[in-house]
Amino acid sequence: MSAPPPKGPPGGAPEDRPPPAAPPPGAPAPRFGAPHDASVPRMETVRVTAPDLARRAALEKTRSRLVITAFCFALLFLAIAGKLALATIITPLTPHLPALASRPSEVPPAEPASDQQPLAPPAPPGHEQRAMITDRNGEILAISLPTAGLYADPREMIDPSDSAHKLKLALPRLDEAAVRERLSSEKQFVYLARQITPREQLAINQLGIPGVYFQPTARRRYPQGRAAAQVLGGVDVDGHGIAGVERFFDQRLREDPEPLRLSLDLRIQQVVHEELTRAIEDFNGIGGCGLVMDVRTGEVLAMVSLPDYDANEAGQATQEQRFNRAVTGMYEPGSTFKLQTVSMALDSGAVNIWNGFDASHPISIGRFTISDFEGKKRFLYVPEIIAYSSNIGAAHMAVAAGTDRQREWMAKMGMLSRIGIELPEVGSPLAPPASNWKEIATMTIAFGHGIAVSPLHVVVGTAAVANGGVRFRPTILAAEPDAKPREGTRVMQQTTSDTVRKLMRLVVTDGFGKNAEVPGYYVGGKTGTAEKSTRHGYNHNSRVDAFTSVFPMNAPRYAVYLMVDEPKANASSHGYATAGWVVAPSVGKVIARIGPMLGLLPDTEHAEEIHQALYIPLQPGKPAGSHPAPVAAAVARPDLTHPGSPPTGHLPAWPPQQEAAPRPSQPHDAAQPHDPRHEAQTAMPVAALADR
Amino acid sequence: MMDRRLIRETSFGLTNKLWQISWTYVVLLCALAGVGYVALFSAAGGSPEPYASRHVLRFAFGLGLMLSIALVDIRFIARLSWLLYVLGIGLLVLVLRMGHVGKGAQRWLELGSLQLQPSELMKIFLILALAAWFHRASWERIGNPLFLIPPALAVLLPVGLILKEPNLGTAVITACIGATVFIAAGVRWWKFALLAGLVGFAAPIAYTHLHDYQRARIDTFLNPETDPLGAGYNIIQSKIALGSGGMWGKGFLQGTQGHLNFLPEKQTDFIFTMLAEEFGLVGSLALLGLLCLIVLGGMAIALRCRHQYGRLVAVGIATNFFLYVFVNIAMVMGVIPVGGVPLPLVSHGGSAMITTMVGFGILMSVHVHRDVEFGDDQDER
Repeated sequence: MSAPPPKGPPGGAPEDRPPPAAPPPGAPAPRFGAPHDASVPRMETVRVTAPDLARRAALEKTRSRLVITAFCFALLFLAIAGKLALATIITPLTPHLPALASRPSEVPPAEPASDQQPLAPPAPPGHEQRAMITDRNGEILAISLPTAGLYADPREMIDPSDSAHKLKLALPRLDEAAVRERLSSEKQFVYLARQITPREQLAINQLGIPGVYFQPTARRRYPQGRAAAQVLGGVDVDGHGIAGVERFFDQRLREDPEPLRLSLDLRIQQVVHEELTRAIEDFNGIGGCGLVMDVRTGEVLAMVSLPDYDANEAGQATQEQRFNRAVTGMYEPGSTFKLQTVSMALDSGAVNIWNGFDASHPISIGRFTISDFEGKKRFLYVPEIIAYSSNIGAAHMAVAAGTDRQREWMAKMGMLSRIGIELPEVGSPLAPPASNWKEIATMTIAFGHGIAVSPLHVVVGTAAVANGGVRFRPTILAAEPDAKPREGTRVMQQTTSDTVRKLMRLVVTDGFGKNAEVPGYYVGGKTGTAEKSTRHGYNHNSRVDAFTSVFPMNAPRYAVYLMVDEPKANASSHGYATAGWVVAPSVGKVIARIGPMLGLLPDTEHAEEIHQALYIPLQPGKPAGSHPAPVAAAVARPDLTHPGSPPTGHLPAWPPQQEAAPRPSQPHDAAQPHDPRHEAQTAMPVAALADR
Repeated sequence: MMDRRLIRETSFGLTNKLWQISWTYVVLLCALAGVGYVALFSAAGGSPEPYASRHVLRFAFGLGLMLSIALVDIRFIARLSWLLYVLGIGLLVLVLRMGHVGKGAQRWLELGSLQLQPSELMKIFLILALAAWFHRASWERIGNPLFLIPPALAVLLPVGLILKEPNLGTAVITACIGATVFIAAGVRWWKFALLAGLVGFAAPIAYTHLHDYQRARIDTFLNPETDPLGAGYNIIQSKIALGSGGMWGKGFLQGTQGHLNFLPEKQTDFIFTMLAEEFGLVGSLALLGLLCLIVLGGMAIALRCRHQYGRLVAVGIATNFFLYVFVNIAMVMGVIPVGGVPLPLVSHGGSAMITTMVGFGILMSVHVHRDVEFGDDQDER
């Protein structure tokens, strides 16, 4: 119905109005502004017109309707009150509902009797008990507990009710009536209970009831709960590995009863877990990951991915919890990759340590702009580029080395393929195809954007550039005590590695990584704050903060890596949500705690010497306490000197005594220079050191 | 000719208006919010953070808003009725649009507050629009079925949009509010009987078109014990909590079901259960009495009002509040399906609090302006 408006109303009512019932011709406008009168005029005293009467009739009608409605509401309130009384005091619900009570006993309904030949009793699993999984010190991480299922053949029963009564005595959790009923049935096979312990089994056997049998089963338990849950993975009901180590070594675990010894160290796993959890909580991150690796063997001592779950309750874990960020997660490594860039550039000889690069202006290529976080806006020498984490400088360095060299380097470092650790979940890095690896890709990859690798890739790469230049395939298995040392692949010259170590140390002494310093451990590392890319470009407010480090820098032993996904700034970080504030302090805490566990005591006695040995000035002009010395791998200066290169009269300078030291080819058996203490300390009893 | 003194004059000063506010009613609302503070204090395990302190701030803001609206002339609100209605529809459409864009992991976060708010506001705007329509209706005209078609459409449009969100609970509540305003306006009973028959006929058909989770809710409601750890979990835990409260309750901060986190969403939907566990039947009956007073107070304001518009608006708002309370409490007792409806002014949640207080502001404006001359629609413009 759409009635025409009665008259052209000025001011236009938005609604369409019904035709007036009784249009009063020439009705006067309402009077406004009359003084307020406290008393209401009484009906009788006024004259009433037809429309008023109509309205009053409507109002009267409404009144009765209102009273009815209010009455209904009151009634409904009463009903609620009544129901409330029922629910609270008259028939309160107790937690022991029949439906709930029947739930815990998961005995399946007995199989329907078939008219065919008697069912064969379920065949006991013929294979051996699945082998244990332990950490490197023999702590049990996964174990199969022998249990038994209790079943009966009712046809062999002599006195079901007597048997049920006896069984109840031996196994109090049974429901006697239900058992009696089952035993009295006409079936040939009825389950009575599952997960019978050996003690209970013995008790039941001693009853001597005919027709009662056991079915050997096993239950996989993970006594450490959350520790390394994603690494361990899990097994399905049939005892087959479905994820993690359980799946990768499924065959081995089923066939060889010897415990599988992982390289993980439960104590270190725990420390990393704790510190990472705290960092994520403090900075409100959505998750994170932590890794500790032996840089001389590639053994992974700790692998933590948060959020995690209790390995015993893998069924309830969410996808997010089961996700192992350390090997499956592919993240843009950000500035941590500058270690790769500088290693590549120096090792190739294309760049000299005292080359300078113009970081005064952002680089614009196409629609991209490369700029620096808190940039110095001037020429930067290579040490400054690393210490101040200059994207511009790194990009220049990579271009100076060349695209092909960069790609070769990345391939050699394993950054373009799966990481090769013994876990089924390893993911493939994301890198531009060779055809599309142009100069712009070279520039962005130089500072870890435009490529995505797993955290473990970063750790392996960091270990390789710091340990003397040998890349080890990472492993989750502990080396046998008498096995010969693992072989690595030499990927760079020892001398380059020596320089890179100094640069890593410089980051912690003078750069963005100061919060990771632990006195006596000579931490070296590199921060990485990568903005997360979305479909619409990079999101400046969601980051991945990582710190990759090695300690002690004078004789590298362990790589420690922590990453927090999407941290938010807080007061303790002075409003920054960058890696130097978010993860570097936690890396420091981890190192301070695990150092003694690993048999390394902080060495503050030789601090001055070690400091000197690792010293590299930010700029060539500064007194380095060292004199320019020719590099062993001195190469021709790059022709591509950048316009306005600063005076490069100074040649690479690092302490000549480093050069003089004997340099074995394999770093893991190396008696590193300035490392008189570690060999002795490793032999110290761990227990005495672990308690710090 | 017409003597217009039948209806009282309009322009009285702000001070006078302030005196006209029903302060008893305001005290009732404050008492309810106070109950909310106690409940939220307990829900947080005996701490004003994070719920109770914010609850107080929001209520203070809402109270200010309510008193401000109370001073606005009801005729001004009446004139805006349809405009607001259109605005509300626009917001609902906007939410539907944006809901389709933001289908990520954050869908709940983004939509949660937005989704609720336009539909809450819409309920109030619908009341205003319906009141404006019936305001100028005579008894005879209401008898004319054709006259009822536009307001019926005005109800169905937002109900349809809210259903599409999808938010079954709010859609049903909106439809009930519309029906109540129709009843109060004097629509003949047999028409409602007819409508009820139609709904009864259509319900099984509609059931097949519901979302799976909505169907699950209804199924669970019909038999919660079938799935004690699934969807029926909430209701069973809630019932257990009610039962464990008994006559006098376990005492403040002593409710085990609530504090051991058996009770889901105890700071929002299930706050009544938590109170009932801690204060028992006696405490919850007292709360129920307070809620009843607020509803009946709204109806009293409606009865006292001398113009149809204000009367219908007051009925509508009182009904809205009543339905909130009724649905929430019936839900936690397992009488009707779980619907995600909070207990107004008690549950944690900002947007619901503000819309509730806006509603009470309009109700209070009706009360303050109960005697104003509304002007006959024929000659007002």
